[in-house]
Amino acid sequence: MPRLSMWRPNHSNDFKFLDRIINEQFTVGGTGINVHLYLGPATQTDSVDETVPEYTNTSAQNIQDLLFLENRDRSYRPDIFNIRGIYQVANNDFDLSQFGIQLSTDTIFVTFHINNMVQMLGRKLMVGDVLEMEHLKDYFPLDENNAVPAALRKYYVVKDANRDADGFSQTWWPHLWRVKCEPMVDSQEYKDIINQGPGVSTIYDAFININDAIIAQAERDVPLSGYDTSQLYTVPVKTGVGPDVPNSLRADNANFDVPVDSTIPKVDSQTITPDAVITGYLTGDGVPPNGFPATSGIEFPNYPNIGDYCLRTDYLPNVMFRWDGLAWRRIESAVRTNYTTGAANNQTLKSGFFNNAGVVATKGGNLIDSRQGLSKALRPPED
Amino acid sequence: MSSQLFFYDQQIRRFLLQFIRIMSNYQVETGLDSTGAQALIRVPVIYGDANRQAAQILAKNSETNLSTVPVMAVNITELKYDRSRVQEPNFVSKMSIRQRAVDPVTGELQQVQGNTFSVERLMPVPYLLTLKLDIWTSSTEQKLQLLEQILAIFNPAIEVQNTDNYVDWTSLSYVELTDVSWTNRSVPIGTENPIDVATLTFQVPIWISAPAKVKKLGVIERIIASIYDTQEEMEAAILAGKLLNGQRQYVTPLNYSVLLLAGQLQVFLPNSTATANSNNGNVPQNWPAVINVFGSIRNGISEMHFSSEDGGPDIVGTIALNPMDPTVLFFTVDADTVPVNSLMPIDAIINPVKSLPGGKLSTPAAGQRYLLLDSIANTVAWGVNFAAAANDIIEFDGVNWTVSFAAALASGNAYVTNINTGVQYKWNGSNWLKSYDGEYPAGRWHLVL
Repeated sequence: MPRLSMWRPNHSNDFKFLDRIINEQFTVGGTGINVHLYLGPATQTDSVDETVPEYTNTSAQNIQDLLFLENRDRSYRPDIFNIRGIYQVANNDFDLSQFGIQLSTDTIFVTFHINNMVQMLGRKLMVGDVLEMEHLKDYFPLDENNAVPAALRKYYVVKDANRDADGFSQTWWPHLWRVKCEPMVDSQEYKDIINQGPGVSTIYDAFININDAIIAQAERDVPLSGYDTSQLYTVPVKTGVGPDVPNSLRADNANFDVPVDSTIPKVDSQTITPDAVITGYLTGDGVPPNGFPATSGIEFPNYPNIGDYCLRTDYLPNVMFRWDGLAWRRIESAVRTNYTTGAANNQTLKSGFFNNAGVVATKGGNLIDSRQGLSKALRPPED
Repeated sequence: MSSQLFFYDQQIRRFLLQFIRIMSNYQVETGLDSTGAQALIRVPVIYGDANRQAAQILAKNSETNLSTVPVMAVNITELKYDRSRVQEPNFVSKMSIRQRAVDPVTGELQQVQGNTFSVERLMPVPYLLTLKLDIWTSSTEQKLQLLEQILAIFNPAIEVQNTDNYVDWTSLSYVELTDVSWTNRSVPIGTENPIDVATLTFQVPIWISAPAKVKKLGVIERIIASIYDTQEEMEAAILAGKLLNGQRQYVTPLNYSVLLLAGQLQVFLPNSTATANSNNGNVPQNWPAVINVFGSIRNGISEMHFSSEDGGPDIVGTIALNPMDPTVLFFTVDADTVPVNSLMPIDAIINPVKSLPGGKLSTPAAGQRYLLLDSIANTVAWGVNFAAAANDIIEFDGVNWTVSFAAALASGNAYVTNINTGVQYKWNGSNWLKSYDGEYPAGRWHLVL
């Protein structure tokens, strides 16, 4: 008679018996879980980076970025597998420690039957697989306007996967697979799942709306850099028989030097305009003082009247000139600009480098981007 | 119990808005889109210290709502008094501001002067505001994409301002990057797998200001006027509230003289010798060009004041631009400011040689009064025993003509109104003149716009 032993080097009938019983426990007492199976990183095309290889197949064994060792663009199987799992439901508190919307304690450990899992999925669950807990579907989110078209699904991402210490039977063979799961976030990695339509709600749009409102108010407070002097009055100067204000009575007499050259033609008193603007840091806006009209263009107009203004748009920044009878005198430069990052009328020096959409024509007739990374600028193009 | 008046100008809040504006609109790659092109997503920036209720509202009161990555959040970590920037705490800066007039109907700015103010600003209090920007990313590559864009901006600082108001001397500051914390995670990662957060620390030197004092600049304008108008009592005017409390500016245009004739005003260059009879070759100036130096005329509302040589009360009337002739203002006198008649009104001004009772003149009746341009001496028409001199006023008593006002004997000024024309005349001791028509040199007239 052989010695009594539960251990067998292969899966004996004892193991199979116990495995069926254990599997039945999952069928009876487990909860239905939809599994979004990770297929591998999305296929890279035209990669010129040796550390981001262009794989010929989609495989869960591929790694997208060999430097940082991370898979950012993940593909998920469009088919959804429903398997049974068991986990301990716990109470959760909203955690405001990071941007307010986290459930920091919402980490669950779900146990699956190994053979059933492999039979259903073709492999064991791995880090990156996404679980959709059917019984946590929320039919009643805060949705007074009925904007949410369907009950919201609850997703978890597998963050760790190992054999369950409680899943070893008397035969010493394991029967259970334990995965550590954390809530899925709306990020690049899970685009495949988030784009699956109704039932997936993210906070992204709400954040963007909040951000837009903040920008709108900031632009209302400071539409352009510097200071708005459009509502301020500039005292005109003597340009002929019109009235004058003695220098001693001017707010800033240093800026109101009146030309005394008798050869300067006199002007009708109806057309007096200031020959100076409100001075200050970044006060030039390209608009004549007191709201007088101005022409604009890439050349000065013919036959100007004394006191006429012209905004030269071929200068950068644009420059406002005033005709004093002898010459077009520079009044100010339009240096005020929108501060908003990326705004079309943001003409700051730095924005001119970051938001440069210009192209440059080569001798061969090709157009190349003016904005290029320094490491790539002027490199010969690939064939 | 009295309370200090409430004041809140959102000074720090506005800096926060501008800081978030600086950090906004950055993008990161999110992989290939359906066309094979690299898709980009904008990274939202929010204030990090959300109220629990607001956070739960954003989460739709549901555990199923997904957080988003990447995202950036700003929060204040410190607000510290900056002793190194302290300056004279009691210093008051004064600033004189002229505003353009605003069209009361359209609300648009005009090309002429409107209100004038002086602004007094108390020395603001220096503070150092420390802000932290948490950058929440889902991958290292994503973090590098964001940091490369942001870090290239700060070398070491960029300007920021919380208002574009010209009088706010505390609006301008700068945002300086002082520290970069690469990650909140331990490396290697261990058993936990939290979302990666890189933290940038910024310092913004700011000023906290007390409310400004905004005052009417009229007092200064009045000093200018008083140089030319010694008749005015500035203190009395201030006490009367004409300067400080009113919405008008008192202005004497500089050295110009005006000519008032028959309700029309013309203005002449300084030192001209225009008179009621002749402008002596002087060209009347355009009123808008004169007035626009100081403001704009509001037809029927703006006033012209004339002071008399004898120190009597001002003649006041409203003015209006003549739309057909910019050199003419229409003047409508305020009847209450016209001098009080010292004589009974006259029926007409006549030449007693040419105009005779029962002839050009009506049959004499008791109370009839005429001002004579010529003398009378023992005539049949006026009475054989009646004589009167030129400039006298005669009156019929029902039987005979008598001299009511003998110019040669009159002492001081006399005022009388001609019923026939409605014009008031003034006897100045030698001539009858229209009581307030005539030339007013610089210093004897001023505008209330």
